[in-house]
Amino acid sequence: MVKTIITIICSALIIAGSAIYESNFVARQFNEFHAVLSILYDKVDGEVATQDDVYAVQKNWIEKKHVLHIFIPHSEIKEVDLWLSEAATLVRDKEWHDAISKIEVLKELSEQIPMSFKITLENIL
Amino acid sequence: MLVIFLRTFIIFLTLVVVMRLMGKRQIGEMQPFEFIVTLIIADLACIPMADVSIPLIYGLIAIIGLFLLHQLLSVFEMSSNIFKRIISGKPSIVINPDGVNMKELKQNNLGVGDLIEAMRAQGYFSLDDLRYAIFESNGKLSALENEQTNKGTSVPLLIIDNGKINSNNLKAIKEEELSLVNYLNTQGSKVKNIEVMTLDGNGRVYLKIKNQKYKILQFNLQEGVKW
Repeated sequence: MVKTIITIICSALIIAGSAIYESNFVARQFNEFHAVLSILYDKVDGEVATQDDVYAVQKNWIEKKHVLHIFIPHSEIKEVDLWLSEAATLVRDKEWHDAISKIEVLKELSEQIPMSFKITLENIL
Repeated sequence: MLVIFLRTFIIFLTLVVVMRLMGKRQIGEMQPFEFIVTLIIADLACIPMADVSIPLIYGLIAIIGLFLLHQLLSVFEMSSNIFKRIISGKPSIVINPDGVNMKELKQNNLGVGDLIEAMRAQGYFSLDDLRYAIFESNGKLSALENEQTNKGTSVPLLIIDNGKINSNNLKAIKEEELSLVNYLNTQGSKVKNIEVMTLDGNGRVYLKIKNQKYKILQFNLQEGVKW
């Protein structure tokens, strides 16, 4: 009985601890990514962005995604990769209008992905 | 992660309720919630193992969550008899000295056929071979032998099950429905009042009429009919 209660407490602590860490970690990573994307958005909107700016965002994302792979379905990470690559090409070709729409999608993704970790009815059901 | 745990919790509880409602037929040598853990855990382990797009932690958390629920139910079960009854059910006495208890069988979604099958697996072929038969909460049959009975040399066939004639078995013994009805009339009963009637190759009848103790009778089989 004592052993059973200890295992219950341990597994509850593992779940609760991991859940709190995961929720904070994912939210922090995506907040930072969102901030970086906002800067890029402003530059593209002002038509002053360079390909290096997008590469810097990509580098930032690659550093984050190594750890995010632990928590997020890989398909969602791949989606961010693809949109970011497209944005890089469009900025290089100075197609500002198309580039801005790609960055809009990326900003939306960086808001939506952490939302899927929140305890809401739509996530549970 | 908490979302996964809550989803695991909901599915687990739903399965516990459904398994309890299904009765003892669906369970084999395990308590209902142990059976559910066994059912789900294999799938939980396989999905993240085979699908690389799913983070391993999704499977791990669900498995730890199941373990937690399993341990919680074990503690509840040990700490209170009421919980034990709710979670795992209670043993059902399906044969008592009066014969087969149809009410208990029905409550567990079992038929006389299932009972006879479970008895055969224990080495008992006739319903009167047992004084008591108990379906444990894990679905296993426990038996207390009836020492007064003579073990027959032929396998009894189920002729009437809960007021319904088993026409296949009747055909197998080469008897007509009419002769059976006439036989029951001589015993002062009708088919609809019979809970169980079995007949073996020596003409030995086990007859359980509603609200009465079972009787062992003799039926004259047609010449040459023997099994």
